Amino acid sequence: MAKLLRINMTDRSAVMQDVPEAYKLLGGRGLTSTIVHDEVDPLCHPLGPCNKLVFAPGIVTGTAAPTSARVSVGGKSPLTGGIKEANAGSGWAPALADLNIQAIVVEGQPAQAGEWWGLFISWDGVKDQPVVEWFDAGEYVGQSTYDFYPQLFERFGRVYVAAIGPAGEFLYSNSGIVFDDQEGRPSRYAGRGGLGAVMGSKGLKCIVLDRRGAPGKAIADRETFEQGRKKLTNALMTHDITKPKGALNSYGTAVLINILNEAGGLPTRNFSSGRFEDAAKIAGEAIFEGNKERKGKELYNHACSPGCIIRCSNTWYRPDGTEHVSCQEYESVWAFGANCGISNLDDTGELIRLCNAYGVDTIEMGCTMAVAMEGGLLAFGDAKRAIELLHEVGKGSPAGRLLGNGTATAARLLGVRRVPVVKGQAMPAYEPRAVKGIGITYATGTMGADHTSGYTIAPEILGVSGKVDQFDRDKAALARNFQYATGYIDSTGHCLFIAFAILDIASGFEGTVEECNGVLGTNWTMDDVARIGKEVLDK
Amino acid sequence: MEGTQGQIRVEVWLYGPIAKYAGRESRGSYAQLFVDLAPGSTMQVLLDLLGLPDEEKGITFINGSLAALPGLDSDKKVELRDGDRVGISHRKAMWPFQYRFGVSQTDELKQEFRGRQDRGVHHAYGQSEEDSD
Repeated sequence: MAKLLRINMTDRSAVMQDVPEAYKLLGGRGLTSTIVHDEVDPLCHPLGPCNKLVFAPGIVTGTAAPTSARVSVGGKSPLTGGIKEANAGSGWAPALADLNIQAIVVEGQPAQAGEWWGLFISWDGVKDQPVVEWFDAGEYVGQSTYDFYPQLFERFGRVYVAAIGPAGEFLYSNSGIVFDDQEGRPSRYAGRGGLGAVMGSKGLKCIVLDRRGAPGKAIADRETFEQGRKKLTNALMTHDITKPKGALNSYGTAVLINILNEAGGLPTRNFSSGRFEDAAKIAGEAIFEGNKERKGKELYNHACSPGCIIRCSNTWYRPDGTEHVSCQEYESVWAFGANCGISNLDDTGELIRLCNAYGVDTIEMGCTMAVAMEGGLLAFGDAKRAIELLHEVGKGSPAGRLLGNGTATAARLLGVRRVPVVKGQAMPAYEPRAVKGIGITYATGTMGADHTSGYTIAPEILGVSGKVDQFDRDKAALARNFQYATGYIDSTGHCLFIAFAILDIASGFEGTVEECNGVLGTNWTMDDVARIGKEVLDK
Repeated sequence: MEGTQGQIRVEVWLYGPIAKYAGRESRGSYAQLFVDLAPGSTMQVLLDLLGLPDEEKGITFINGSLAALPGLDSDKKVELRDGDRVGISHRKAMWPFQYRFGVSQTDELKQEFRGRQDRGVHHAYGQSEEDSD
């Protein structure tokens, strides 16, 4: 039976609890948001002992459900001051599910500042339960993630790691929590909202999972699960966006650069324009062609996590053919590209690599850098200086701290009045004055400007609690239902990108519900989706 | 910007593999070119001139307004004017609905969407359409 693992950083205790009845059908974002809602005082300091940091794999994470290796991380955000959920795809997520842990709740704070601890969680075959060991993680403090991840692999073998970089240690509001990809790269981020600082405030450097010998995720009704898994797999394998060698597998998410640019929706030079004259030079198509030239063959993208069919994660190579960074995805390329007036993929690649190395969110960091450009700290397009300043962020110098605490903070310090944030969080790569629907999502979302909080799924499901008509003057019902749909998908443990296929292929959508029924032994129908999503949003 | 001898001049951007239809103007992953057309020319005339086959043409913009998507070729009869900007993506390019909800669309595309039972709330309208609903 799955357990709730409570880690108390004040007395360094680890307690396994039975999952309360009210939490038994929850997973992913549904569970992290519920625990934060139930247990965290909304008035607490986000970096104080009363905040909690919650990790939860999705409902079907750890099974053979396609594209479902997501982990949700929740807490009170130091960036927005509100509830926050960020999630990532990584082998860490199914490893947690395999260890029969439904959620880890990190509480308290060490009495002494400057203590840094690591957790090693493995399976005790004798006691038939997970076992937690603490280790002094001080030796990894101050190091780039690219430096200390290999040290952890050398020490523990092929394990799965959730960690913070120097940014989290400095308690920056733009720091994320990093997870390893399938090659062991520290490149998959629960990036938004400063949850890395929450982890840092608890003196927790990393959580290492060893799944060897673990029993794996329990499935209540395997036949129903298999039926659902096959339906979703078929949808993902046939839809133009998600199929092998389809849009995402070929060009990655940066395939959107040229599209948004044509629409006047690609924020440029700190949101002063919606079109970047060099957009085509940093687009997904340019990444594909650039890699082809440098590697001498066409390269298709890889899966960030086990069991993904969509495989949208790219690797960028240097002119000599050696690996530079993974990955140059749409938001990151835009943040340091168009939004900073930088038109060279090697420069955007280096800036993204440094974000991975120091543990900061690329969207928040890119928007902050653009504000710094507008504030005169450097010129738009000055990639060399931007790289130097990002190193300052990693060092924790005064300039670095100015830039590490979010776009709104930097704007205040630099006297910049054009500040692209909502509820304190920087806007992603969709200019809301051109893409008005996403503007509604930014404005009404509980977590600040977030492009992943309002995904569309099948109209017949969205229509449960409102009309589905893009031309209706009342946009509220549609925007609300998008957010319900997203809350549901984020709870299943599936990557949000399955939404591309299940909007158009209804059987794929049915498949996700059947997968959940198979795992949980429930009898949910498609009508339950809006309810499940609503319950997440109501938290 | 004016075309030669009474013609109109249109700025054209081609994205992805279809950049090859720009000939010497191709930059591999994209192309920017200026095309002179007779007054009154439609998008179909431009596509014929470029030699761009329907099956390779993807998401299309005219002056920043969404004009066509794979499976919804509502741009062919649109009359082009001097100084217009046309952006055409390759067939694999995508634009999920939530990221184009509320963008500028041509009147012809709006009409197409309004005539559909789903009112256009889909990600793609091509091969997957038969599986929807």
